[in-house]
Amino acid sequence: MASVSDMYDVTWEEMRDKLRKWREENYRNSEQIVEVGEELIQEHASKLGDDIWIIYEQVMIAALDCSRDDLATTCLHELQKQFQGSHRVKRLAGMRLEALERYDEALKMYNDILQDDSTNTAARKRKIAILKAQGKSTEAIRELNEYLEQFVGDQEAWHELAELYINEHDYAKAAFSLEELMMTNPHNHLYCEQYAEVKYTQGGIENLELSRKYFAQALKLNNRNMRALFGLYMSASHIGASPKASAKVKKDNVKYAAWAASQINRAYQLAGHGTKETKCSLKAVEEMLESMQIMPS
Amino acid sequence: MTVIKLTTQAYCKMLLHAAKYPHCAVNGLLVAENQKRKDGQPVLCVDCVPLFHGTLALAPMMEIALTLIDTWCKENKYVIAGYYQANERIKETRPNQFAEKVAARIAENFSEAALIMVDNSKISMSCYDPAISVFEHHDNKWKCRDASIDCCEDWSEAQKIMSALLEDRSYDSLIDFDNHLDDLRNDWTNPEINKSILHLC
Repeated sequence: MASVSDMYDVTWEEMRDKLRKWREENYRNSEQIVEVGEELIQEHASKLGDDIWIIYEQVMIAALDCSRDDLATTCLHELQKQFQGSHRVKRLAGMRLEALERYDEALKMYNDILQDDSTNTAARKRKIAILKAQGKSTEAIRELNEYLEQFVGDQEAWHELAELYINEHDYAKAAFSLEELMMTNPHNHLYCEQYAEVKYTQGGIENLELSRKYFAQALKLNNRNMRALFGLYMSASHIGASPKASAKVKKDNVKYAAWAASQINRAYQLAGHGTKETKCSLKAVEEMLESMQIMPS
Repeated sequence: MTVIKLTTQAYCKMLLHAAKYPHCAVNGLLVAENQKRKDGQPVLCVDCVPLFHGTLALAPMMEIALTLIDTWCKENKYVIAGYYQANERIKETRPNQFAEKVAARIAENFSEAALIMVDNSKISMSCYDPAISVFEHHDNKWKCRDASIDCCEDWSEAQKIMSALLEDRSYDSLIDFDNHLDDLRNDWTNPEINKSILHLC
């Protein structure tokens, strides 16, 4: 089996840097992390210095994702030797038990941590993750809401809550969670865009108008966000065709939709430069936009 | 009741999508050739368009995908014939409200539309069993079809090819509609994977 460094012609430093990038950007490409990380640990451990501990943690979590309990246990043991009694390592031991579906034992680990340190957010979140894994969505949502009353600034938790609500089709509460996120992150185009999608899904003319506004806002924050552009097109088109909208509102929205359509076409043309394959997408989009053209009534 | 069957290409791309995002829910569409069928002839889904991964239950991008793929279908003499979904949790094999809504929408246009749920627990390297359950629309409800009915046109071929694709990690290069929205150059018709499958046949 060829080594990663041979197959991709990379040095150990490049492998280490790749792992750091994946870690910092929170990627969940576990198979790749295991491949690169395992080789780094086995062949180049001595060169990594203190980086090795955080790499053990990263590779361990990725190994759990890939059912590599052997690798996970190896990493865990190294961390347990080095950081005896550490809560951070104990949480990793809990995660391994979760991966093996030994939820009761995992819960005990997390409760032990919390007894020692009631503010340990990682352990609380793992308990909620267990509820999620067991399909207990209502309890997970309840616990997460309680957690957020205490830790109101935890963005990851607000986003998790929004997604749990979306999966339960409780769009109103999902919107509320996303509003919290937008308040603290007004420049994040992704939250704006997802909020717009939730409003659109809720339906009704007021929600559609809100959705259009937030799609537009997301586009202002990032003019390459295709979802926002498509969303703007769809919401404006629906409002333009709605019997509940006033004549002026309809006229305005037909204009917005037409603008969005031209931008979509332009984006596809730019993308299609050169490749034959994307021409099929471009043609389909052009036809779709033509067929959906709203005539002001 | 008309029976739905999948070609190897449709089955494999659907499972590759699930394999690419093991930690997420995924969904997508199945397309069949738009032609007059004789009585009793099964509906053959010839291709699969992987759509989204992660948070599925939001309407706008789904509407865009349905409209765009419908247009593409018309150009290629296809029709959207089914919807598939793989849930986030391995033990959750039932369709949720969103899946039923989308499938019902498809059924408005194609009365024998099928709702296919991927059974995550059956996905393995050896592909021992078909990893899907087929739901059909009866009296406004989606009912699970008898598992003994063959879901693939040629199961032993699908099994062999699926296994080879998983070994090769072909799922790394599978493009879904989400990938396309991230970068328009990504092609959701997956011509390269189609070629690999043809090559393995």
